[in-house]
Amino acid sequence: MAEVIFSSWGREIVDNRKGQPKPLSELQIKLPAQYLEEGEVKAFIGWDGFILLDKKVDVVAMAAEYMKRVQEKYCCGKCTPGKKGTRVLQDTLERILAGHGQEEDLQTIEDLALLLENCKCTLCMTAAVPVFDTIRYFREDYLAYTRGEKTPVNGLRYTDKLTAPCMDRCPAHIDIPAYIEEIKDRRFEESLDVIRRNMPIPAVCGRVCPHPCETACRRALVDEPISIMVLKRVAADHEWMHHKQPPMKPAPARGKTICVVGGGPAGISAAYYLALDGFKVTVLDMLPEPGGTVAVGIPDYRMPRDLLRREYEIVEALGVEIKYNTKLGVDVSLKELKEQYDAVFLGVGAFRSKPMGVEGEDAGYEGFSEGGINYLRAVALGQPIETGKRVIVVGGGNTAIDCVRVALREGAEDSILIYRRTRKEMPAESYEVDDADEEGVQFEFLRNPTRLIHENGKVTGVEVVVMELGEPDESGRRRPAPVPGSEYIIPCDMVIPAIGQDPDLSFLEQDDLGIETTRWSTIVTKGGVLMTDSEGVFAAGDCEIGPMTVVAAVGQARRAALAMSRWLTEGKAYRDDADAMEDLVAELGVFDKNENTGLFGGLHREHQPKVNGIERARSYDEIELAMPESQAVTEAERCLRCYRVGMIAVG
Amino acid sequence: MVNLKIDGRDIEIAKGATILAAAEKAGINIPTLCFLKKISPTGACRICVVEIEGADKPMTACNTLAINGMVVTTQSEKLHKIRRQVMQLMLVNHPLDCPVCDAGGECDLQDSCYGLDVDTQRFEGENLNHEDISNWPLIQQIPSRCILCEKCVKVCHELVGASALAVHNPGEAAYIDTVDGKPLDCEFCGNCVAVCPTGTLNSKPFKFKARPWALRKTPTVCTFCPSHCQIDINVQNNEIYRITSDDEGTTNNGNLCIGGFFSYGYVNHAERLTQPLIDQQPVSWDQAFDRLVETIENLRSSDGPQVFAGLGSPHLSNEENYLFQKMFRVAIGSNNIDSEARFGAMRSLRATEAVLGLRGASNLLSAIGKAEAVLVFGADPTAEAPAVDWQVQNACRRNDAKLIVAGMRKVKLSKFANVSLTCKPGTELELANGISRLLYERNLLDSDYLNQYLENPDELKSHLDSIDLDAISSATGVSRPQLEEAADTLGAARTVAIIFGADVTRSARGYEKSIAISDLAILSGALRGGDAGGLFPLDEKGNIQGMLDMGVCPEYLPGYQPYAESRERFGKAWKTELPEGGLDAMGILEGIEAGNVKFLYLAATNPLSFPNANRWRKALEKVDVLVVQDILPTEVTRLATVVLPGASYAEKGGSVTSLDHRVRSLEKAISSPGEAREDWEIFAGLYGRLQKQAVSISRSEILAEVSSLSSLYGDICFVGDERNRPCFKQPYRPAPKGLKYQAPQVDEVETGLQLVSRKSIYHFGTTSTWSAGPLEVEAEGVIHVSPADAATAGVIDGGRAKLTSRQGSTSGPVKVDENLPAGLVFAPYHFAELGIQALLADGSNRIGVELTKGG
Repeated sequence: MAEVIFSSWGREIVDNRKGQPKPLSELQIKLPAQYLEEGEVKAFIGWDGFILLDKKVDVVAMAAEYMKRVQEKYCCGKCTPGKKGTRVLQDTLERILAGHGQEEDLQTIEDLALLLENCKCTLCMTAAVPVFDTIRYFREDYLAYTRGEKTPVNGLRYTDKLTAPCMDRCPAHIDIPAYIEEIKDRRFEESLDVIRRNMPIPAVCGRVCPHPCETACRRALVDEPISIMVLKRVAADHEWMHHKQPPMKPAPARGKTICVVGGGPAGISAAYYLALDGFKVTVLDMLPEPGGTVAVGIPDYRMPRDLLRREYEIVEALGVEIKYNTKLGVDVSLKELKEQYDAVFLGVGAFRSKPMGVEGEDAGYEGFSEGGINYLRAVALGQPIETGKRVIVVGGGNTAIDCVRVALREGAEDSILIYRRTRKEMPAESYEVDDADEEGVQFEFLRNPTRLIHENGKVTGVEVVVMELGEPDESGRRRPAPVPGSEYIIPCDMVIPAIGQDPDLSFLEQDDLGIETTRWSTIVTKGGVLMTDSEGVFAAGDCEIGPMTVVAAVGQARRAALAMSRWLTEGKAYRDDADAMEDLVAELGVFDKNENTGLFGGLHREHQPKVNGIERARSYDEIELAMPESQAVTEAERCLRCYRVGMIAVG
Repeated sequence: MVNLKIDGRDIEIAKGATILAAAEKAGINIPTLCFLKKISPTGACRICVVEIEGADKPMTACNTLAINGMVVTTQSEKLHKIRRQVMQLMLVNHPLDCPVCDAGGECDLQDSCYGLDVDTQRFEGENLNHEDISNWPLIQQIPSRCILCEKCVKVCHELVGASALAVHNPGEAAYIDTVDGKPLDCEFCGNCVAVCPTGTLNSKPFKFKARPWALRKTPTVCTFCPSHCQIDINVQNNEIYRITSDDEGTTNNGNLCIGGFFSYGYVNHAERLTQPLIDQQPVSWDQAFDRLVETIENLRSSDGPQVFAGLGSPHLSNEENYLFQKMFRVAIGSNNIDSEARFGAMRSLRATEAVLGLRGASNLLSAIGKAEAVLVFGADPTAEAPAVDWQVQNACRRNDAKLIVAGMRKVKLSKFANVSLTCKPGTELELANGISRLLYERNLLDSDYLNQYLENPDELKSHLDSIDLDAISSATGVSRPQLEEAADTLGAARTVAIIFGADVTRSARGYEKSIAISDLAILSGALRGGDAGGLFPLDEKGNIQGMLDMGVCPEYLPGYQPYAESRERFGKAWKTELPEGGLDAMGILEGIEAGNVKFLYLAATNPLSFPNANRWRKALEKVDVLVVQDILPTEVTRLATVVLPGASYAEKGGSVTSLDHRVRSLEKAISSPGEAREDWEIFAGLYGRLQKQAVSISRSEILAEVSSLSSLYGDICFVGDERNRPCFKQPYRPAPKGLKYQAPQVDEVETGLQLVSRKSIYHFGTTSTWSAGPLEVEAEGVIHVSPADAATAGVIDGGRAKLTSRQGSTSGPVKVDENLPAGLVFAPYHFAELGIQALLADGSNRIGVELTKGG
């Protein structure tokens, strides 16, 4: 059990140097005790202080090493206190370490640490924080050096990590401050280059991402969060709006082949990174056209299909072959793929609708849709499907919202959403609920369907029961309970259940190759490298996580692609330092919602123009219009560039 | 508006303004160092920190927006301490070579240290300064002096759009270099040097030549191109040391191009003409005038006035061109006067006049920057008028305009284009017609506007109905979707700017192409007026607009008054009878060949730079009397009977007219070398002697005469005797039913490998080939060949090639140019040695050629 010797993390001082060390678990700091296979975590130093888990750690040497890395590796050099101040700090610390320091050097360090409050961004500014702490709380260690009583003992291995609250919170870990800075500098192509390092489908995630990054935006602590997603769209749109060709070029061919099953966000992302890395990638997709769930699950008014196709053309231009209308388990088996290719990536998504469990739903009534995702797919592919005049959609998630809005566009006069809790508890993004509202969707909250009503096998209504909210359940939302005897019938001619999806793993029925699955019908992978129990078979995206977001699928697929590359070239799928540090800071947490930034705000975030609700409600044209680039620059100028550097000491 | 309090004073300022701007408005000084108004704020130096109530940390005034109710303090002990310490940090590893630093005396870093009492240093750090970068042409970078303010990087990227510089390396090792670390290869505009607050970026030609405080600055106008940027000539001992320009109070915002910044060397060139020559022998002015008067009088009495001809010049001022035409028409009695505009600017002028009643640009340059869509058509503004390039970037890179670049080749601005229409050489007319047809077909016309202003809607309709878009696509090689995107872009914009240039006006069918573009200007609404959009014909020569305004052509008297109709009126004013008829440049050339023209006066112009130069050479050899007035010795002065040494723009006063009709004053910064005289003095001297009366003419008298004879210059305002205040000519406004659509004549297009003679971005006419600056970047004429044509002909990059047209042949070094479409060969016309103009046919910048290896 790891024990804490000292911590200044989060500005809370825990000092057990003299007393009994306390277990790390008591500290509410999520720091792993073990780092990869290399050894125990001895200390962590970073933007919010430092944590000491071993008495033997030389705090002065660690501070000197940290400042050296900040100055030589990460400081952008673009403001005076950062560029010069961290150099003076580095050199002063090194001088002390070399036995040439004097006590007044400590004053210089403290003064500079305070002066660094005036840096342009938070990178060097926060880097001064733990160094200041070491002098304040480990002054004797410094004085031992200046008195010549101490020389450095090494033996610890340090690993560092550049992060930012938004970048950490983004499941794809896009270097958000960097791409925003490029926009601020009116370098849109360079901005897109940065985005593509972690996000191969920027035009998609610039439009439909639920942008968790914005919930970790420090600007929100000053006034309002940055429109991070929209800025990504601006960078992505700049390229096609100027008919520019993307600059990516694949590495020399490595002579190995990979089959990617599923051409959704996970599959295409894996294909992108693997192709860039020099592998020959073939993508199999059961759909007749590119995009996976983005194409057939996200309506065109949110994600125009021509732009989605362009993203796929870009990946194809890297040498990726996409075979459409090919379904795993039907047209080809997993066993065959494993034999034919050097590695297999499973990104088969989660597109099987969950049943509602109400009377009549498996009776095959006319007017009853198998599921929201099926309905959206049929519309997207132009399949013959008749939308009723009065449509009821059951569910509170994004798919349910998409269904009610598509039903309007397909000619429904009344499009009604039924949800068993209230608007507040809806898992759908609140702005999408607002969008639906503006378009004329009707909502029936605190209602749950109990029975389908039909006449001669044709749906004529749905019986619902009124619900009440009770105590919070494990998700933290108040649990709904039916009010006995409150049942009544809502007339309608179509019912679409949209209460969730599962992955379709039926292809494992023939031969599961030892691949473990969960009771939610997701694939189990291990070790943070997304490899299944079958060597060389990797899985990512909705089929591994369960139904999630595009950005989560992309992030996972990138990690899987990196691991696959290592597995194919080095014979071992493992996390490297970058992966491990990414996971480590994610666990530690980077965003502090209680931070006092000390800044003056008062600026509103910029929004992209939007077609008004009535005008757009019957059209599939994109409803959010491009943000003018000058406005994007204004928005980018609000970014606080909240970089920070962490460093771990392992021994 | 926003209300805030700074240092106890209430200030109201527009929303979106920074604290710094608010303080400036109230006259409160906040120290800055990296701040430069014309670029986006950088916030690098942190000197401008201020305290804001409610914020625990000081914030920088340069990039923090003023918010309602904000209470700001700009001076406090705390702030002073921060500023001083930051300055101390800035000086860590800054070399103490101020005594030998070019910025000494005008260094912002010195001034800031002085202003903030930074007289001690408590910090030290390892010196990681990058070594000096001395292998760039024209510019030296000394990174140890750099304070990383990024002004150079940003001016280059944001305003010039060359994006040549970048910050490299993290931390204290950070320094500024070219993006790829190779020697600088850019437009060499010098703006990075101009904005550098320290001695980091240095002009090599200026370096170590003079101390800034010893230089005398004379504000004047750069006349290398018609943008007419406002400059200061920096002089010591009658020599130009450098050219500078202020950001404040100039229409060019202190920005210059290579012409303004680096090309002044010709003025003080050792080979300047310093004495009049008769038969190549030095003579006095009196001898030269006497000889001229005698020759003119004898020839006039033996052969009559019709054997005299003269070519004026866009190098000369308005007054000089006015005197030149008046001398010819009144004192000599010949209307055989013209200029090189015949082969370019006159074509666009006659076309825009016929269709729109417009002569030159329809609006101010700043109106380009405010347009919602910009169409650059057959022009390379970067070369032809750099200030137009900057305005186009203003529009499409800062003000969200859409940019369409159309023409036979890619130009620098193509990289910013939303739509690039690359057409086959010579099909610009068809391309313009195609866009016009689509505007009409796709209902993108403003019918209210057309009803009000268009005289002949039926003609428009019948012409547009007759256009076959498939034929247009196949003729131009531009696809239908591309054409549609261009039309939709123009149609969606409320304000449109159309710019067209040499690839249209100097080519065969230049007049017809200009007609088609004028029609497109009507249809796209470019002429709606206001402060955004307009039609902008470009011609690269400095005072071409002023020269034409002054009537230096046989068909117009000053102010575009038709010669035949206004002959009597002017004759009355000038107390003489003006001759009938008159030859244009081609007529003069043919006249010399036929022996009908025996006297040719070249006033600061060199016909060997005209198309079909060999034909001109023969004519110059043949003509009985050749008078050449110029500043530098050329092949033409060597052929001359009489050579009259004139003055450069830096040595004279006078007014010039920019392409957007601003009339500005040249100021004399230095005196001419030797006996050389201001050109207007030469004309006045000769004119007086021919008239047998002492002529004392002041510049203001000339302008007053222009003003009285033509309403065009009716609003010219005078300040004192010899100066006019910068002002505008009468602005263009189309009259109701004043636009007259014309169906342009379509002709056969020449196919096969085409040579296009062009202006380089580094050179200006032939003058700049006398300046060391541009020669360091482009020393000789290089033939640019596309990779495909190079492969076919077997020529290689850096090798030599021979070009043969039906007019002649030449050979020169080759550059294989990725930006060139197959089928096009480019060569600059500036260099006598390459002599590309000899390969061209009369009046066209393009001709079919054969490309072969070697030569």
